[in-house]
Amino acid sequence: MQITFEEVSHVYGVGTPFERLALQDVSINIPSGSFVGIIGQTGSGKSTLIQHVNGLLQPTKGTIRLGDVTVTPTRKLPHESRRNIGLVFQYPEHQLFEETVAKDVAFGPLNFDMPPEMAELRVREALEIVGLDYQEMKDRSPFLLSGGQMRRVAIAGVLAMQPKVLILDEPTAGLDPAGRKAILEAIYRIHREQSLTTLLVTHSMEEAARYADRLIVMAGGKVMLEGKPDEVFAQADTLRELALDVPETVSLISQLNRKLPEEQRLPSSVYREEELISHLLARISDRGER
Amino acid sequence: MLQNIAIGQYVPGTSFLHRADPRSKMLFIILFAILVFLANNVITYAILIAFTVMTVMLSRLSLAYILKSLRPVWILVLFTVILHVLITKGGEVYFQWGWFSIEEKGVTQAIFISLRVSLLVLVSSLLTLTTSPIDLTEGLERLLGPFGRIGVPVHEIALMMSIALRFIPTLMEETDKIIKAQTARGANFTSGNLIRRAQNLIPIVIPLFISAFRRAEELALAMEARGYRGGVGRTRLRTLTMSWRDGSIALAACVLLLVIGWWRT
Ligand SMILES: Nc1ncnc2c1ncn2[C@@H]1O[C@H](COP(=O)(O)OP(=O)(O)O)[C@@H](O)[C@H]1O
Ligand SMILES: [Mg+2]
Repeated sequence: MQITFEEVSHVYGVGTPFERLALQDVSINIPSGSFVGIIGQTGSGKSTLIQHVNGLLQPTKGTIRLGDVTVTPTRKLPHESRRNIGLVFQYPEHQLFEETVAKDVAFGPLNFDMPPEMAELRVREALEIVGLDYQEMKDRSPFLLSGGQMRRVAIAGVLAMQPKVLILDEPTAGLDPAGRKAILEAIYRIHREQSLTTLLVTHSMEEAARYADRLIVMAGGKVMLEGKPDEVFAQADTLRELALDVPETVSLISQLNRKLPEEQRLPSSVYREEELISHLLARISDRGER
Repeated sequence: MLQNIAIGQYVPGTSFLHRADPRSKMLFIILFAILVFLANNVITYAILIAFTVMTVMLSRLSLAYILKSLRPVWILVLFTVILHVLITKGGEVYFQWGWFSIEEKGVTQAIFISLRVSLLVLVSSLLTLTTSPIDLTEGLERLLGPFGRIGVPVHEIALMMSIALRFIPTLMEETDKIIKAQTARGANFTSGNLIRRAQNLIPIVIPLFISAFRRAEELALAMEARGYRGGVGRTRLRTLTMSWRDGSIALAACVLLLVIGWWRT
């Protein structure tokens, strides 16, 4: 589903002393099927931005187009459209409430009037996507799981609605490296298998570089940079001004390029870790043969 | 979604009222409450209204915002006005239709009662609007200090109050977030009959309770880890001090007391 923002602004607490401009004239275009990384410091407006995508917040000004639905300051997103747009909040495990894992994951599908047998099937699929065994987990209380498992159950609760757009607000915050990787890999897999449009909010450049095919860099409620990852990483100075770093791979490439003669420079498009490794290995073995 | 519910939530600032000592503000409110009940004619009420308007101006907050933030209270006031107009009888009859009548006493009662409630609520909301929760509880603790000698756990009461005040905005934020998260999963909170609606609240209430308990546990742990063990012998980072502002509040209180005492009938 294509997502377009036209000059969208959002003000919290209009007419109170706590009034706060959280988004300012944001215009973005997210093509259907892309995996977008949204990066920015805390308070830069990332969460505010994504809550507009499924109508939890309405713009104070501007227009949002979600496929063929339009949201404006006066026109709300219809309830049925929510089903197509799955939003996983930050610390989603805090929203668990049911007695059993299976019931909790089924909450979304049942809310959208799915027949119970169908919902059960969805629950099974969703739990398997996030790497949990259905038979083993279904009757357990979600509150007795480990932090990482709770997070997965909560993500499964959104996946079970089979959205076309998947939005994740810092899904790896507070997890150990192995847990982070497992969750992101699962998300990436389902993104490709079901050709979802995925928005991943993160403040880790590494995560963004690894999975995203487009990046949006935010600061102070505005979009500062937008484009393909290598285009964004090329603006290292701007990123540094925003107190964001380029990924290690990108800085390694630029350090190597400083040493290398012009014709042997590494292309900036190999910023993904595996690609860079295989690129370098190929070079080294080339040289060995010569 | 819940942004307008916080009645009297602290608004940081540097006005006269913000800088005055919380103790003098609290004592003044007690006196003001007495004065509101002493006032009994047009002149005394006019004086109190004028004084309240002046106090609002001293807080440098917009009257519109204060009035808006007290919306639930106005509904209550409106309700009492209607009740008094309809039920209290006596004096001249303004309007009669069968058994139904509006009479002089009812109208005057309605006006006085609503004025009393409004003035009291306005002035006391200024206390929480201009005093940070820390100052508020410290002021309370110091004011109640003498009762500590007769065994009242003053420090604990103040601590409980400060924790409660501290966590009201946090819990509101949390509620807002949980409502949004469940809405994103298709929950609908506004349809169905009463029982249905109550059931619809379960997905909000349970996570909220769990998070409140978790926060309480974390807070207790954090306090213990930093060696907290009650109020005895505890020193303070910031101590309250009286200034010329508190002198002028005391003066205003005396003047008001004399004026109301003189003009009331
Ligand atoms: N519910 C709210 N009420 C008022 N202000 C808010 C609310 N949520 C966020 N803000 C403010 O909006 C700004 C952007 O916040 P947010 O979108 O949460 O940023 P991020 O997700 O990038 O950390 C921040 O300054 C924050 O204080
Ligand atoms: Mg955020």
